[in-house]
Amino acid sequence: MMDFAANLFSAGTLSQILVGLSRTTILFIVSSGMSLILGVLRIPNVAHGSLYMIGAFAAWSVIQFLGGGLFAFLAAMLVAPLIVAAVGFVLERGFFSYLYEREHLMLLLLTFAFMLILGDLVKIVWGPEYRSVTVPSFFQGSAEIFGLPLPWYNLFLLIVGPCIAVFLWLVINRTNLGKIARAAAVDGEMVGAVGVNVGWVFAFTFVLGSFLAGLGGALIAPMVNISLGMDHSLIMETFLIVIIGGLGNMWGALLGSLIFGLTQSLGILVWPQFGIAFPYLAVVAVLVVRPRGLLRSTW
Amino acid sequence: MVTTRRSAAPLLLLLLPAALLALPQVLPRFHIYVAEIVLLTALLATSLNLAIGYTGLYQFGHAVFYGIGAYGTALTLTRSGMPAPVAFLAGPLAAAALSLLIGLICIRLSKLYFGMLQISLGSLVWAVVYRWYSFTGGDDGIHGIPLPDAIGSPKGSYYFTLAVTALCVFAMYRIVRSPFGKVIQGIRDNPVRAAAIGVDVRLHQLAVLVIAGFFGGVAGSLFVVVENSVFPDMMFWTFSLEVLIMCLLGGMYTFFGPFVGASAIVLLRVFASVHTRYWSLLLGTILALVIIFLPDGVLGVFVRRPRKREAPDA
Amino acid sequence: MGKAVSFLAVAVAMFCMAGSGVAGDTIKVGFVDTYTGPATTFTNDVLDGFKMAAEKINAKGGVLGRKITYVTRDDKFKPDIGLTMAKELILNENVDLLVGTINSATALAVSDLCRKEKVPFLVTFSKSDKITGEKGNRYVFGMNENTEMAGRAAARALAKRKFVKYWIAGDDYEYGHAIANGVFRHLKTLNPKVQLLGESWWKVGETDFTPYITQILAAKPDFVIVATGGGGMVNFQKAAQSTGFNRKVPFYQHAAIDLSTLMPQGKNAPEGVYGTANYLFYYPDTKENKAFVEEFRKTYDRHPKSGALYGYMTAQFIAKSFEKAGKVDREKFIDALEGMTLPSPVGPMEMRACDHQVTLPMFFGVTKMSPKYDFLIAGDIVLVPGKDTMPSCAEIAKARAK
Repeated sequence: MMDFAANLFSAGTLSQILVGLSRTTILFIVSSGMSLILGVLRIPNVAHGSLYMIGAFAAWSVIQFLGGGLFAFLAAMLVAPLIVAAVGFVLERGFFSYLYEREHLMLLLLTFAFMLILGDLVKIVWGPEYRSVTVPSFFQGSAEIFGLPLPWYNLFLLIVGPCIAVFLWLVINRTNLGKIARAAAVDGEMVGAVGVNVGWVFAFTFVLGSFLAGLGGALIAPMVNISLGMDHSLIMETFLIVIIGGLGNMWGALLGSLIFGLTQSLGILVWPQFGIAFPYLAVVAVLVVRPRGLLRSTW
Repeated sequence: MVTTRRSAAPLLLLLLPAALLALPQVLPRFHIYVAEIVLLTALLATSLNLAIGYTGLYQFGHAVFYGIGAYGTALTLTRSGMPAPVAFLAGPLAAAALSLLIGLICIRLSKLYFGMLQISLGSLVWAVVYRWYSFTGGDDGIHGIPLPDAIGSPKGSYYFTLAVTALCVFAMYRIVRSPFGKVIQGIRDNPVRAAAIGVDVRLHQLAVLVIAGFFGGVAGSLFVVVENSVFPDMMFWTFSLEVLIMCLLGGMYTFFGPFVGASAIVLLRVFASVHTRYWSLLLGTILALVIIFLPDGVLGVFVRRPRKREAPDA
Repeated sequence: MGKAVSFLAVAVAMFCMAGSGVAGDTIKVGFVDTYTGPATTFTNDVLDGFKMAAEKINAKGGVLGRKITYVTRDDKFKPDIGLTMAKELILNENVDLLVGTINSATALAVSDLCRKEKVPFLVTFSKSDKITGEKGNRYVFGMNENTEMAGRAAARALAKRKFVKYWIAGDDYEYGHAIANGVFRHLKTLNPKVQLLGESWWKVGETDFTPYITQILAAKPDFVIVATGGGGMVNFQKAAQSTGFNRKVPFYQHAAIDLSTLMPQGKNAPEGVYGTANYLFYYPDTKENKAFVEEFRKTYDRHPKSGALYGYMTAQFIAKSFEKAGKVDREKFIDALEGMTLPSPVGPMEMRACDHQVTLPMFFGVTKMSPKYDFLIAGDIVLVPGKDTMPSCAEIAKARAK
């Protein structure tokens, strides 16, 4: 009991919080993409994880092509998400746009089919071997926070996260396109009736969501093994975050990601063996108390 | 209005059971084994469809009941001294009990939220089974489960699986055709109106969940008979999704749709990988084509149902 | 209703006609393994090593006048699919024996199946010690090291060093716990002074280890046993590198010095990491090893990793056992295989008769930069001979009797 109290109030806690926050960044970026797609287009995009995985592999390819180094890394952070956005564009225009009036379950099934297809396509294009991208030397090593290490790359993520959040907020709330998308999420027919080409609005939303998934994959690439199982790894967490945050609600995605990231980091302090169960318990708690998610959803 | 071809029906009712009974005499062992897998998977899919197709509940975590049914039977057979019949009841009963528990927690939520909460709770159960190595064998699973000779032999396991599946499918058929079945379909189509005419919506939904969980658990115990093993992956969410796909693929609004969907997916999975390494690609492509061109699933082509409006969120 | 049934009839007909192999004049080997997902990087090596050996053998006339052929089935890292595929290979393709799989749960399930069907099963890459230990049987053979062997090898090397306060961390699944326990248990018997300060377990596939690393550093152990498997190896090493963990506390991972772990990271892998491995293409610098590496590089344009060794030797054992048996008979194959010793790139390998486990030497080393290669290699290499890493026949018998 004394140990528990000591653990909770030590410097270790602060650094755990910081780490939890940087993990939140990736979760947020990927889930905001899914929240957009689910909230505006009503598509439960199971293939979102595949897009994330393609982002990581594409980042590897770009860095290989440009020979490594800081410039290659930054270029990859832009180019890889664009590649994924292009894939998203093809999916939306080529398939989903014809099927919006179908039931949600059928759309879920279709995105699951695409997850299978994209998974094997990645295997065909990049092969089965592990790929690895190294953190550019600019970000290597770590800072000492209260005597414990926090990698510079994690700090980089801590900065990138809020930047993306602000950028998204601006796009959704301050641009015309964003406002139309929000309106279309609530009442697509009406938006179409006032003369807006709803189709292109939906396309834009899906492309933006895909871009975000690809960006998440590209950002996490230096920290992990880039491998074929990546599409499965994030998808459940992403769905849960979007659900507890409120569908289509960007702040909800941020809140959900915070809950996930922090409960896991702090859970490890409280109960090292079962720390990973904490986010799921948090989800259960949230849904029991607020069945429709914490913040307002667009459905 | 449901249109059916009447002429072939009586002949089929005679031929199909005869064919199924004769299978072991005619087919090689491997095909009999595949037939067993098809049967129990079809049972599982049909049990899921009670919840999703007939009652409109977003049952996204159904695999948990399958897994608990299997583990219940497996653990009873390997750890307690109880005779086999007890084991084959223990599994499904455990699944039904869990279904009730999870149902009570989730029932206040609707649609997608119901599904996601169910998955979360199911994942917690999975995590317990996966980690409790000393009791459940952890991620190794349990192997070499002893079975009574009558149902352990290749032919014996087939007939047992066939008999149990037929019985359960028949039971479920009677349930959906009964007044209870009509009520739950009414709840699916318009829960507000159902409540307005005095139906206890929650009670009926819970009842369906328990029944679906029970039969899902039976499918799980059949797995023990066919494979003599259990694995924690049986209750993982990706398998829940696969069973869901079987229902949707075959046609959610028909009784035998899940049967067709399960058969197709099992057969495809077994025989496609004989020919290609990229069978995910193949499966995904076929799935996508069916969804795009056959909106009501495969059987939906043959049995038309009224196009209903999406019920407003309850 | 009619259409539905005709659809079903067509499906059933297709099903009945679906391929039934005949084993004719070849020795047919069935591979059931994972060719989807992250494990593929390892299993491809096994298959390539096998192919290389088989082609050579076939070129010289084959075995008993027959060529070695193989078929593969993907179990997608799932035991239920693995079981189905194994049954398909045995009952439909009529293979003479099975080889596979990297998933230990699948290996155990298939081992039980092969016991019932009386088909020899040569296990490649799965590391559970139960395969040839308590769940071993007449038909299953272990072609690579298991967690017991790795644990004992590491324990021997660590017991000689001055570390006293240990921390255990790893992937929270059976393999992780087995490796960690394997190492620490034997370490404690060899050096009773060692203490366990605590443990940390994370989910398989974890990508961000910083929270765990900070927790471990706060506890100030002398040494950490890190029990990661598969992809987790690289993930953890990357985290160690970026947090400087490897410079603060020495740690050990089984396969830390393996090529599959070090090569993807290039020159950025952490130095000073202790590890064990079954196979290093640059050590020992013997004629046999050099020849093997040359051949593999020429055929596949890449360095061989441990999987290649397992696949290569599996083919050799299969060929020589059938030759010794004199005919393609499964029971005689097993009798011939028991106790057989063959030369290999890492020295003579014996298939121990009492438990059907191959005796492999284990290499213990520390990662370091190399001027010659674009990736790190192992230095201070210590070879722990197979007989020092394996449980005794008596211990095996006791475990199986339970």
